[in-house]
Amino acid sequence: MKVDERRRRRIGLALFCLFALALVMGPGPGIYLVNPGIEEANSRTVLGMPVIYVWTVFWCSVQAAVVVVSYFTVWKEQKK
Amino acid sequence: MIAPACLLSEGSPSLNQIGGVVLVAYLVLLVGIGIVGFLKSRATEEDFYLAGRDQGFLVTVMTIMATFFSSAAILGIPGMVYKDGVSFLLFAMNLPCAGVAVYLLGSRIRRVGRKRSYVTQGDMIAGYYGDSAAIRIAVAMIGFLYVLPYIIMQIKAGGYLARGMFPDAGNVALFGKEFGMFELGATALSLVTMIYVLIGGMRSVAWTDVVQGFLLLGGMVLAAVVTMAAMGGPVEFFRKVSALPPDSLSLPGPSGTWTPWKLMTVCLFASTASMIQPGQWIRYYSARNDRALKQSALIFAVALPICYLFGVMLVALGGRVLYPPEMTGDGLIANPAVGEFDQIVVVMIKEHLPAMMGVMGAVLVAVVLVAVLAASMSTADSNLHALSAVVTRDIYDRFVRPGSSQKERAWVGRIVIVAATLLALLLVTTGQESEELSPLKLIADLMFAAIAFACQLMPVTIDMCFIRRGTKAGALAGMISGVLVVFLFTPFPGLLFGSGGLIGDVMHMTGTLQTLFDIGFCGFAVNCSVFAAVSCFTSRLDSDKVAEFARDMLSTSEDNSTNPS
Repeated sequence: MKVDERRRRRIGLALFCLFALALVMGPGPGIYLVNPGIEEANSRTVLGMPVIYVWTVFWCSVQAAVVVVSYFTVWKEQKK
Repeated sequence: MIAPACLLSEGSPSLNQIGGVVLVAYLVLLVGIGIVGFLKSRATEEDFYLAGRDQGFLVTVMTIMATFFSSAAILGIPGMVYKDGVSFLLFAMNLPCAGVAVYLLGSRIRRVGRKRSYVTQGDMIAGYYGDSAAIRIAVAMIGFLYVLPYIIMQIKAGGYLARGMFPDAGNVALFGKEFGMFELGATALSLVTMIYVLIGGMRSVAWTDVVQGFLLLGGMVLAAVVTMAAMGGPVEFFRKVSALPPDSLSLPGPSGTWTPWKLMTVCLFASTASMIQPGQWIRYYSARNDRALKQSALIFAVALPICYLFGVMLVALGGRVLYPPEMTGDGLIANPAVGEFDQIVVVMIKEHLPAMMGVMGAVLVAVVLVAVLAASMSTADSNLHALSAVVTRDIYDRFVRPGSSQKERAWVGRIVIVAATLLALLLVTTGQESEELSPLKLIADLMFAAIAFACQLMPVTIDMCFIRRGTKAGALAGMISGVLVVFLFTPFPGLLFGSGGLIGDVMHMTGTLQTLFDIGFCGFAVNCSVFAAVSCFTSRLDSDKVAEFARDMLSTSEDNSTNPS
């Protein structure tokens, strides 16, 4: 039981870090990695879509995935 | 530009007539739900405010969502994308943050609320910090600062929407006075909302939120489908979007507003603050179990970003292609065909849906416009209801007539709802004619100021839920300092004290800070610092009581021995 609890905490910590990373990389300073300059803004596309749109969808998906995994592994419910 | 009404065949009903029928049907449905809610209710305060603490998953998720999505969701936020291009798409990442807050904070709040029969956030926060009257008042004041602008904002949106739905309708003479569509729309929204909140309380509010939530989500997705189709399909859509002016495809956007630090702090703090505002707090208490909140968190994090990123935000990007904003000496302004940035979704669907689908399109336009109305009403009803709870429980019952009966308090709550509705309506209609209120014109601006005030409850909420080391004096000092800091970011210091001297310097500083960070975050940073510093030097809370509170909050078994009423 204790091992399970410890494992749950470890997964929780890993998920927290991943969620925070997604926040920093998505709307945070991580965006500078892909933010196009004015001169190349029209040419920086991924599959024909603006790179910032794709970047947003990707990191938002990471956050959503963290919540889904938390839902099934970390978040406990009260029992009657 | 092709007028949509011209595309309807001769002899078919006009857009105004179809819109009128759909609107009346919707409003009648809401009042009907209000009546059913009333018939199902019991005459107790707890039933009026918390629907017997027995709301299941569907109602919980839809009412939390509908309360969260105000008119800003379908008017203000697309308006920002229309104005600032792809940079504001990153704002969609506030939704997973909000989802996490629903579970992590909401489930803890629910457990304590159920065990200790709490109704308002003041009950819990003041109860934790030694049953402090000062803290209860401070929490109530922060609640007012959030709730009142939000009610005003939703009523304003109702006025704008009526003007958009019935552009050709002339003024109507009532009681010897001429009323335009703005006044009539704002009045209709406020009165119908007031009626169903008044008669059915939380049950009616939550049930209408279910209808409104589905309408809202449907409207967001439908608008995106229409935009894609109107622009030649997804490939052509993105080809046109990629050819937008370069500044709208990169940060900080054409207006220079959205720097990464600002976006990140907005996503984290604005969303979390929206999840601890008085209306949401009451929804946590009213959830039947943790599972309802857990599932709500999942929907928030997974389904809602889809509605934003593949829905309404794309509509605004399409709008930027079709109706490019114009740069003038005074800055960026919306295209004359759109009028105001906030109107882009309304314009897009009104221009393109009837063109594509004729009469059926006109019906769908009316449905989407009603969805916008639903977004406004669902937020207005929740805030009216929360305001009533705060005044009744935190002010009337504590300071005006302690020991009043439940029945009396329920009636006082109803009087508050009527008074608040009429006051907000008066402010909206007079404000519409006054130039002095123009700084608050853009819906999204008002939203961020209100949320920033709610953000000042975050430090005490985090302390109660996770840390439990703050003191009563620290909590009070933190909240007051945080609110004062946020106040400095609003236009009010300039309006009250002029913009010269020290106030001018402060306004310059806040103006600079505002370009770097979210306003709520600035208040939060000061709030936390003061809270921590004062807590170090003031007397701690009774450790036994704190331990008991923690047990109630973290207990993994549902205690049925406490009768909530």
